[in-house]
Amino acid sequence: MPRAKIWGILAVIVSAGLFAFLLYAVFFIAGNDGLSTLPVDLGEINTLTYFSVAVPVAAGALFVLGTGFWIGWVILSIKVVPPMPEIVEKKDNSKIKALLLCVSTALLAAALVYGVYVRSFWALAIPALVISAVVLGAVFWVGLAIITTRSTLPTDGK
Amino acid sequence: MKICLLTYRGNPYCGGQGIYTMFIARELVKLGHEVHVIQGPPYFPPMEGVHIHYVGNHNYFNKKKDYIKPHKPFATLRPLNFYEFVASKFGIFPEIEAFSVRAYFKLRELMKTHRFDIIHDNQNLGYGFLLIKTLGIPFVSTIHHPLSIDRSTWFEYPSEFSLKVKRVLYYPLIMQGFVARRLDHIITVSHDSAQEIIKAFKIKPGKMSVVYNGMDTEFFRPLKGVRKKPGSVLFVGNVEDRKKGVVYLLKALTLTKHKVNLTVVDGGAPNRTYVTKWIDNFKLNDRIHFTGKIPGEKLLELYSQSQIAVSPSLYEGFGFPAAEAMSCELPLISSDGGALPEVVGEHMKTGYVVKARDPFGLATAIDYLMDNPEVREKMGKAARKRIQQVFTWENAAKEMVKVYREVIDAYR
Repeated sequence: MPRAKIWGILAVIVSAGLFAFLLYAVFFIAGNDGLSTLPVDLGEINTLTYFSVAVPVAAGALFVLGTGFWIGWVILSIKVVPPMPEIVEKKDNSKIKALLLCVSTALLAAALVYGVYVRSFWALAIPALVISAVVLGAVFWVGLAIITTRSTLPTDGK
Repeated sequence: MKICLLTYRGNPYCGGQGIYTMFIARELVKLGHEVHVIQGPPYFPPMEGVHIHYVGNHNYFNKKKDYIKPHKPFATLRPLNFYEFVASKFGIFPEIEAFSVRAYFKLRELMKTHRFDIIHDNQNLGYGFLLIKTLGIPFVSTIHHPLSIDRSTWFEYPSEFSLKVKRVLYYPLIMQGFVARRLDHIITVSHDSAQEIIKAFKIKPGKMSVVYNGMDTEFFRPLKGVRKKPGSVLFVGNVEDRKKGVVYLLKALTLTKHKVNLTVVDGGAPNRTYVTKWIDNFKLNDRIHFTGKIPGEKLLELYSQSQIAVSPSLYEGFGFPAAEAMSCELPLISSDGGALPEVVGEHMKTGYVVKARDPFGLATAIDYLMDNPEVREKMGKAARKRIQQVFTWENAAKEMVKVYREVIDAYR
């Protein structure tokens, strides 16, 4: 087997394994008896220590939520010339969806800020998990692409 | 003068960017300057006297599969490539930003052996340019038109919410505005475009110059001995680009008295989806012919065979296809979108100008020109004369050098 394919398989296994471990670590190890009885108390951590972790994670999450809000706002507020009647097939409800996007991202951002303020474990864990999912997902995807890329021409020449 | 041009896409056969860089480079060399071009793929071919430097990319945005190169399987995991890969999966167009960073590294490498007097970007405006600014060389950029116009014209057409989200993410307007305001000077290609850039990017008017594009009138010329096809109308442009206003032209074809046939040269549209639906809906299947990507000589032949060219764009920063048609003595019906009236010139003399988004106006213009062959001939000749007088690459390069000198003097 070509060396690249072996590394591709490793990338797939490592990224999938790491993500599974992250899920296990966040949802099960943190609380010995599962989610309902999570015993983590971030209030006991030194304020400086807590915010040195919380601020970058929250900033990343707020950036993503802010981008979502901005997308909704652009769709809501952009002023354009109405289209030719002949090309209007159905009612355009994208402004309603854009409003929903704005409201939901604003609410999530408020919940995040409140969660960070009251030192909720989930306010940090969920954004960290999402960011990890994106990075590990991309590595998984690349690994899969390396495995499935044909490195030589088939013998029949087609 | 030692000039370094930057273009993230060099190919001169699709889109105006490659054409612009190629001709400006050629004319600057003719004027005796040393020209280097740092270009991204697709590349333009080697040119005599121009020093070309290549900057690669993996085109993750357009390649949904086969982006892994067998000889470099891990290239995607390199930081900049990985960023491009992830961003493109979220619908962001990262090529511009990535090119600007790669161009910075390439420039640093080149500056070990070269000392450039000026760096001239061609509508990239990526964050990497802020790094280039630290190299201490006067830095200008050509903005053909602000992409906010492309975005708003997309929004004019009814579309799904998901498509609108993709369009918002696709256009890097915040980055381009942020970088443009920090460059030493901005060049644009028409007065209309200058106004739009000032409005969209909040550029100070004193920091902007207008240098008209040129046209290769030796190549784009009327061919002798080619017979005109009766009832033939030509459209050149990417039909999937909503800004081109093709739907209005299709509607106009249902309104004309003459049953004209439309030839569409759309080398820039790899997948036609939107426009084919409207051809079906307007029942025009037997009157529209797509050529797909064709060589320049074939395009020239089509300009000579057609009776009328139409440019129904909702906006153009300049409008190369309009100028090409005029240069080939083909009477042009153009909308008044953006800079098209500046290019076309006098209504009814060098071209027929109608309101943008007006299919009835387009239909009237087509019928009028079909009914009046002597007007067509006169208009075509006047159009070519105008292009030869106003829009030459030689003039463009001379004007450009004037701007360079002003910027360099102000920088010292």
